[in-house]
Amino acid sequence: MKKLVALLLAVALCCTALAAVAEDVTLKVWDGQDDQELLKELCEAYAAAHPENSYTFQYGVVGTADASARYLEDPSAAADVFVYPDDQLIRLAQADALYEVTRNHDAIVAANSQGSVNAATYQGVLLGYPMTADNGYFLFYDKSVLTEDDVQTLDGILAAAEKAGKQFNFDIANGWYLASFFLGNGCTITLDESGVQVCDFNSEKGVEAAKAVAELCAHPAFLPGDQNILTGTIGDSVCAGVCGTWVADAIKERLGENYAAAKLPTFTVNGEQVQMGSFGGCKILGVNTQSASPVEAMNLAEFLTSEERQLRRFEVRGYGPSNINVAKSEAIASDPALSALAAQSDYAVTQLIIGDFWTPATAFGNALIADPTVDVQPLLDQWVAQTIGQ
Amino acid sequence: MKRFWKDFAEGDLWVKGSCLVMGLGCLKRRQIVKGLCYLAAEILFFLFFFGFGWKYLSHFLTLGENAQLRVWNEDMQIYQRVPGDNSMLILLFSVLTIAVTVLFVCLWVMNLKSAARLCQLEKAQKHIPSFREDGRSLLNERFHVTLLAAPLTTLLLFTVLPIIFMILIAFTNFDANHQPPGNLFTWTGLQNVTDIFLGNATKTRTFTGILGWTIVWAIFATFTNYIFGMILAIIINHKLVKAKKMWRTWFMIPIAIPQFVSLLLVSRALEPTGAVNVALMELGWIKTPLPFLTDVTLSRVVVILVNMWIGIPYTMMTFSGVLMNVPEELYESASIDGAGPVRRFISITLPYMIFVTAPATITTFVGNINNFNVIYLLTAGGPASLDYYQAGKTDLLVTWLYKLTVDQHDYALASTIGIFIFMIVSICSLTVYNRTGAVKKEDMFQ
Amino acid sequence: MKHSVNKRKLRASIGLHTLLTVLSILWMLPVFWLLISSFRKEPGAYTPYLWPKAFTLDNYVRLFTDTRLFNFPRWFMNTLFVAVCSCLITTILTLMVAYVYSRLRFKSRRAIMNISLILGMFPGFMSMIAIYHFMKAIGLDQTLLALILVYSGGAALNYYIAKGFFDTIPKSLDEAATLDGASRHTIFWKIILPNSKPIVVNTAINAFIAPWVDFIFVSVIMKDNYNNYTVAKGLYTMVDKANIYQYYTVFCAGSVVVAIPIVLLFIRLQKYYVAGVTGGATKG
Repeated sequence: MKKLVALLLAVALCCTALAAVAEDVTLKVWDGQDDQELLKELCEAYAAAHPENSYTFQYGVVGTADASARYLEDPSAAADVFVYPDDQLIRLAQADALYEVTRNHDAIVAANSQGSVNAATYQGVLLGYPMTADNGYFLFYDKSVLTEDDVQTLDGILAAAEKAGKQFNFDIANGWYLASFFLGNGCTITLDESGVQVCDFNSEKGVEAAKAVAELCAHPAFLPGDQNILTGTIGDSVCAGVCGTWVADAIKERLGENYAAAKLPTFTVNGEQVQMGSFGGCKILGVNTQSASPVEAMNLAEFLTSEERQLRRFEVRGYGPSNINVAKSEAIASDPALSALAAQSDYAVTQLIIGDFWTPATAFGNALIADPTVDVQPLLDQWVAQTIGQ
Repeated sequence: MKRFWKDFAEGDLWVKGSCLVMGLGCLKRRQIVKGLCYLAAEILFFLFFFGFGWKYLSHFLTLGENAQLRVWNEDMQIYQRVPGDNSMLILLFSVLTIAVTVLFVCLWVMNLKSAARLCQLEKAQKHIPSFREDGRSLLNERFHVTLLAAPLTTLLLFTVLPIIFMILIAFTNFDANHQPPGNLFTWTGLQNVTDIFLGNATKTRTFTGILGWTIVWAIFATFTNYIFGMILAIIINHKLVKAKKMWRTWFMIPIAIPQFVSLLLVSRALEPTGAVNVALMELGWIKTPLPFLTDVTLSRVVVILVNMWIGIPYTMMTFSGVLMNVPEELYESASIDGAGPVRRFISITLPYMIFVTAPATITTFVGNINNFNVIYLLTAGGPASLDYYQAGKTDLLVTWLYKLTVDQHDYALASTIGIFIFMIVSICSLTVYNRTGAVKKEDMFQ
Repeated sequence: MKHSVNKRKLRASIGLHTLLTVLSILWMLPVFWLLISSFRKEPGAYTPYLWPKAFTLDNYVRLFTDTRLFNFPRWFMNTLFVAVCSCLITTILTLMVAYVYSRLRFKSRRAIMNISLILGMFPGFMSMIAIYHFMKAIGLDQTLLALILVYSGGAALNYYIAKGFFDTIPKSLDEAATLDGASRHTIFWKIILPNSKPIVVNTAINAFIAPWVDFIFVSVIMKDNYNNYTVAKGLYTMVDKANIYQYYTVFCAGSVVVAIPIVLLFIRLQKYYVAGVTGGATKG
């Protein structure tokens, strides 16, 4: 009897101890508009998995593209946990916006692909939890017009498209896509050891790449324009275009059975075929340094990027996982868009840009569209000068 | 002022005591409510100043010394952040505190003045106004104080203080690399001004280029609308035209659609694959799409044309109103001289219309210098130019400013440009406003 | 003789009407295009053909029923609330200020008028960061109340047109009332305001429309608080890069819904609008 009383007492004590620890935690989470439903589902799953605390989640609608801009407007009003693309990492790191990943560091590094961990690392410190590895671009095409051989080379695509009276869409006026010619031909844009922007797009190799861009611009089967043009015309007047996974659903809907994707083609430099490069990146969950409950926020971020959740994210939204195990799964391998992205990832580099690269890139693209015969060297010099801040 | 000093020097202990304890003079002369108000104001001010204002104002000269710190926390296994000073809040609330202090000093002087005056009134054994009488004067002789109190307070809070804040930002290095709370920013003097005009060739070129285009744009945008709007109004109001009201309504509908919608549609329609090019090609008028938004000259023409689409209905409405109200006396004197309809129009209607719409035209001109919507929503400043720093060939100063603030977070540079826009616009418009008939003759009709 | 004059008139009349028809078609084209896009069945911001392949009412239905991602009905009510409140406050403040500058003479009048004029020319969004932090300091950030304050805070700057109108009301009216013992307070409410219907309506329309079309201030004030968005900000997020393919036609439908009340207001109150622009030189 005494023992029973003692046991009950102990249990009661434990319960009160537990109850005393139970806290009310409020966490604000940001993600894009169309990811909100999934985000709610996953956060509620987290709360269910951690009954010791009571959680209140606030959901903010901030798409990944705007994350750093919205964050910097007022860091203390920003989310505790938010999604950002790896190209905003440096900007956020310089503003001391992100907590270092210190808890379970090794497990997180081991679970995710090397590329995604690198993309989330700045100056040797891991600054976030890799969530997807699909922030890159590749080729979508219409199987009824182009064969697998055609899409190997840019010339092949253009020739076949012209023959069929169709067009090939590429967003030349966007530095992100435009860079693929330069990166492919061996140019680099990166940071040196002291964190200064270096870029050699105006080198001899760069001029060769720019000439290839000019040739593309001059081709009758070429159609410039952003993703709206691609999603609006593919399967109709357009037979192929370069974009990322976020338009995969729309394109699948338009092409139906003829839907296909591949790595970027090769292009011709001095009569030789050169593989187009690309920027490859990932989306990362960051924990705000202004957060009132950083540990809880980190636990949530870790939960939201775990293997199971990444699989779920692929199932619901079709996002390519950064988790190694999920990436190996059969479902991913049979997804045309993600396997094309994986094929392209061999030629992709991490985006390390802090300079004024984008606006002059648009200007350069527009100049070539307007007049493909223009002398590219002075334009490239201006572009690079602005990028490296001279 | 002299009289005040005399009154004050002659005042009794209560008057002098009002220096320290506000409202004392009023309380003594039985202006209880007024005295208590002064006293309450003093207490509130000191609570505000020492409870809130001082902790920011004391850092005003440096804008903060302690950056956010990173400390290893063994329990949590994280690098915890120790909050440092927030330069932006220091600057902002210092401005607020200084403004409140200035207001308080004014109140303090008012308190002394009224204490000294009351003392004199008492000595002369004159009537001392009661609180009720003061209140009544606020509805009559001093009615302007009552009416202006609320609007000017909001003006101070929502316009004046923010503008002072932004002007001060121009003398700091507040940009993407000095972003609170992670980093501090500090005073840099005239660095930004010299940067634009001397230090950085690209920025100088951008500023002068954009300034030139802004002026060209404002002139074209204003006068195309003015002339064509007038012509349209004359046509609609021509005596041969039937159903005048219907025509007017017809032209009003497009401008009732929010500009961010209509301009987005127009912008999409002007793309190489947009509706305009598709239509022109199907008609066989052109073979390849026209680069409406990427060619410098063409895009500049396009923004002026689209601005006409938006602006002409407004000017048309204005001129319709004016045309319907040309005073009959003017015509009567002219018809005696036997003037024909054309003569009548040129020598009477036209000068009258120009005279009446002059103030509105100046407002439109100034509005066009700052015409954010048409440019930003239509071309976003594009086509981007390699000559320019973060700007394109149709950018106005104001859209460049917006892009620098929202996209680049380069607040210091943006504020510097903002000050220049402000100076140009305000000098122009002040001279013109104070010279137009409407101001000079403001008492004419009364 | 008479016959040929009539013929000439007829020809001129036909010419003028043809010109007006052509012009109004030109002016209505984008509106028409917005309308057909809002009924278009195929999604996407862009189609390679001009005329939609199929029409549907679905976009409008989705706008009001599919509130999981875009809560348009709620945004509509937010905007209505903000518009009504800021319209009331702005109108009263503007008229008060205009009356003071027009009728009352006091020491610093000219100085205040000139300063107000200049302040109104400072690009508005430059002050938004400061206003946001003021609002935050008093706990009003991301609320509709803050938005109302922002929209009506600049009322004292827009006195110009109303003042011009008040200037044209004969001062003899005031003097007669003063002789009858009316205070200035009474004169403002009983004499000036009843004689200024056009300008009251004009000020009110402009203040009412502002919240429906602004997307910049509301972005700064509301940030991520999506439940407190107004229609303009909400619609603007629909054409974000991430949403535009799915929501473009819904965006068009929403724009039509927003435009309808504004169009009706404009048509109904046309003459007051004119009175506003010409600052009382004509009285509607």
